[in-house]
Amino acid sequence: MEKKWKYQYWMKNIPGIGNKKLKKLVEYCGSAQEVYGLTKRQLQKVEGIRACDAEAIAESRNHFDLEKNVQILRETGISMITIEEEEFPERLKNISDCPYAVFYKGRLPKEDEKTAAIVGARMCSSYGRAVSLALGEKLAACSVSIVSGMAYGIDSFGHWGAIRGRGNTYAVLGCGADICYPAGGKELYDKILQSGGILSEYPPHTNPAPAQFPARNRLISALSDVIIVVEAKNKSGSLITADFALEQGKDVYAVPGRLDDAQSAGCNELIRQGSGIITSFEGLLTDLGLEPDKSGAKDKILKKSLEKEEALVYSCFGLQPRNMEELLKETKIPAARLADLLVKLQIKGLVEEYFKNHYRKK
Amino acid sequence: MYSMVTTAIARGLESVYIQAEADVSDGMPLFEMVGFLSSEVKEARERVRTALHSCGFKIPAKRITVNLSPADVRKSGSGFDLPIAVAVLAALGEVEAEFLRDTLVLGEISLNGKIQSIRGVLPIVAEAKKRGIKKCIIPYANLAEAKIVPEIEIWAIEDLRELVSYLRGRTYIEKTPIINMEEARQKQTEPDFSEINGQDSVKRACEVAVAGMHNFLMIGPPGSGKTMIAKRIPGILPPMTIEEKMEVSEIYSVCGILPQNGVLIRERPFRSPHHTISPNGLSGGGIVPKPGEISLAHNGVLFLDELPEYKKSTLEILRQPMEDKEITLVRQSGTYRYPSNFMLVAAMNPCKCGYYPDRTRCSCREGEAARYLGKISKPLLDRIDICVEAPLICYEELTQKNKRNESSGNIRNRVSAARERQQHRFRQKEISCNSQIPSKDIETYCGLNEKQNRYMKEIYQKMEISARGYYKIIKTARTIADLDDCADIQMHHLNEAICYRIQDQKYWE
Repeated sequence: MEKKWKYQYWMKNIPGIGNKKLKKLVEYCGSAQEVYGLTKRQLQKVEGIRACDAEAIAESRNHFDLEKNVQILRETGISMITIEEEEFPERLKNISDCPYAVFYKGRLPKEDEKTAAIVGARMCSSYGRAVSLALGEKLAACSVSIVSGMAYGIDSFGHWGAIRGRGNTYAVLGCGADICYPAGGKELYDKILQSGGILSEYPPHTNPAPAQFPARNRLISALSDVIIVVEAKNKSGSLITADFALEQGKDVYAVPGRLDDAQSAGCNELIRQGSGIITSFEGLLTDLGLEPDKSGAKDKILKKSLEKEEALVYSCFGLQPRNMEELLKETKIPAARLADLLVKLQIKGLVEEYFKNHYRKK
Repeated sequence: MYSMVTTAIARGLESVYIQAEADVSDGMPLFEMVGFLSSEVKEARERVRTALHSCGFKIPAKRITVNLSPADVRKSGSGFDLPIAVAVLAALGEVEAEFLRDTLVLGEISLNGKIQSIRGVLPIVAEAKKRGIKKCIIPYANLAEAKIVPEIEIWAIEDLRELVSYLRGRTYIEKTPIINMEEARQKQTEPDFSEINGQDSVKRACEVAVAGMHNFLMIGPPGSGKTMIAKRIPGILPPMTIEEKMEVSEIYSVCGILPQNGVLIRERPFRSPHHTISPNGLSGGGIVPKPGEISLAHNGVLFLDELPEYKKSTLEILRQPMEDKEITLVRQSGTYRYPSNFMLVAAMNPCKCGYYPDRTRCSCREGEAARYLGKISKPLLDRIDICVEAPLICYEELTQKNKRNESSGNIRNRVSAARERQQHRFRQKEISCNSQIPSKDIETYCGLNEKQNRYMKEIYQKMEISARGYYKIIKTARTIADLDDCADIQMHHLNEAICYRIQDQKYWE
């Protein structure tokens, strides 16, 4: 496969020739190598290739150093797969704007692998964080792979959830697959490589650019059997993913939010338009035809090992985080004692302090 | 004829003794002053000459030489006028030199012979007593502060002629200081903790911080009551001892801001400089350095609101004085030492917009909160023992009318009891409270049993606490145990202390 790379990589890098034209060229000639051998006149015979396109192809053929460039590609350790190959993911082939080539690190999802996308806002609430983590973990535990975009917020937590649940997870980037974007997600980037793969339709070393992100959203939805939107404001990028999903005939689920909650306005709107609604994790798993596991039982055993007051404090925690003042009011335990109890719960690994005096279930 | 008068200038809280010598001899008529004088002291010549003239003394056509010794100390300040005048008068034989033995003379003269007040009388008089000076001649306007020092004879002078009459043998009649009744009556009603609804966790943390003089940081959104709480901290501090009152009053005297009600400063200082303060304003400065805010907050509270808004260079200044409890300022004119044993209370928002981690209101980007905290240097954060969040209070809680909140008096009683326990513990030592325990003495004063040691080891690893953080937790736990009247630190004391620790910024998402 790697032998063909040098012509394919050239094809991918011709300026001004998009996925559709590349597809037509390949369909006409059979392979990239043969496209490379065509004269300008022959090129123009291909349907959809205009004189200026033929000019661009010929021009790039003169300037593009095949050997040198393919060497650069090899050095990045990134694999390339194009629509010419049998192994090209079936899920991607079926979409209208199918990419000519996909670059990836790690591996690609298998054809029979069940996949779900978890997408949402970068600036998410703690609730959104908890939900996406739990969704990722529970789906991964049922052998559903999580696909997302590795952005901060919901995307990242979806990936993390899958990693916690020891499942597979795949990230589709809007830049070269060798670039960790956002840079702060390096730890996650490495973890995803271990339990799945990073893929992108852009050649290595491509820097992130605003226009590339909506485009990669179509790949996220294409790779997933079902799309879950956790938290999205109105006009959120996640809604673009949901639109692509509907176009591609995928199921869309949304996590409902409160009426006045701007963070969830997009999700609520999706629900109004008729997308699936997630009211419980078990319900979602049943909807997807999966067997919910009995993780609730673990919680009960834990609770039994707690002192009475510890259990009282612990019972205040749900998906929402709590701060000290709220807990004081709710439990009526004196401040000094509550501080003691909260540290005990932290030591037992049940609760974590994610910000000064703000706690959430671990 | 030759004469000599003793005077002093305040350098920091210490005084430097200066001899004003005058000699009248034959020669070209001249009034000359020597002795490394700054310009305000050089001008004393004109003031003294005119004042003597207007008081009816004839200056003979002789050569008058005034020397201020030692000659290598730069003389600055306005307190030299009176000693120079008295020395000249003594050299002229107008007054009896006998009355000037073991006497300290201070004061500024105006052209008509009236004596003006000067700064720093209290520390100078206090030290004069220690040095065995029997009598101090000072401006009448400074009598109130000089009276604070017991068992030393004070002559408070309003006019040069009056002084001359005493120095010729008239008996000095004890005067009473002018007491600014207005000011004395203006005993402000102190804000009380009972006025704050909710924020119980902050109040508790505050009590612990005060009990052990731990530096204290409050993090919270705007309007959550951080400043309100800080303002009430002086109200729960234990009363000052007489030595402490003296120290504070001396500093205020050097600054010339001692209240005119004739008594020592009784209330612990609460200083809250605005965040635009310059480094020198905080540390103390000037050609002749005056005490800065850190010294004015000595034995009290230095409150820095909006901590990250202070200039970095300003905050860095705090590090050394917080450690040494005093600041040493070196200038060309000498070395000045001011005490700075204060409790730092700081308040800040969690992020730029102020609402993190409430994502519905906070519009900051990922990691902004950590960056905001990052504006404060690590060494400074390392010196903060107790950190707590002051959350927003809901409307119902805020407007609750008949809720019984604990009063400052009650809290103060508990704090005082805990302080007494600490003073008893450190009676043989230089330190006075738990926050000052040096790391090498931790084992002695805050011993943990085996089970607790094991527990702390687990915590140390699980919560990734730094070595300094570890000691801070133990010291705080010691204070909590003191509040609880426990001889040994218990497990729940440790846990509470852990809850108050300041987290590493990497844990702030």
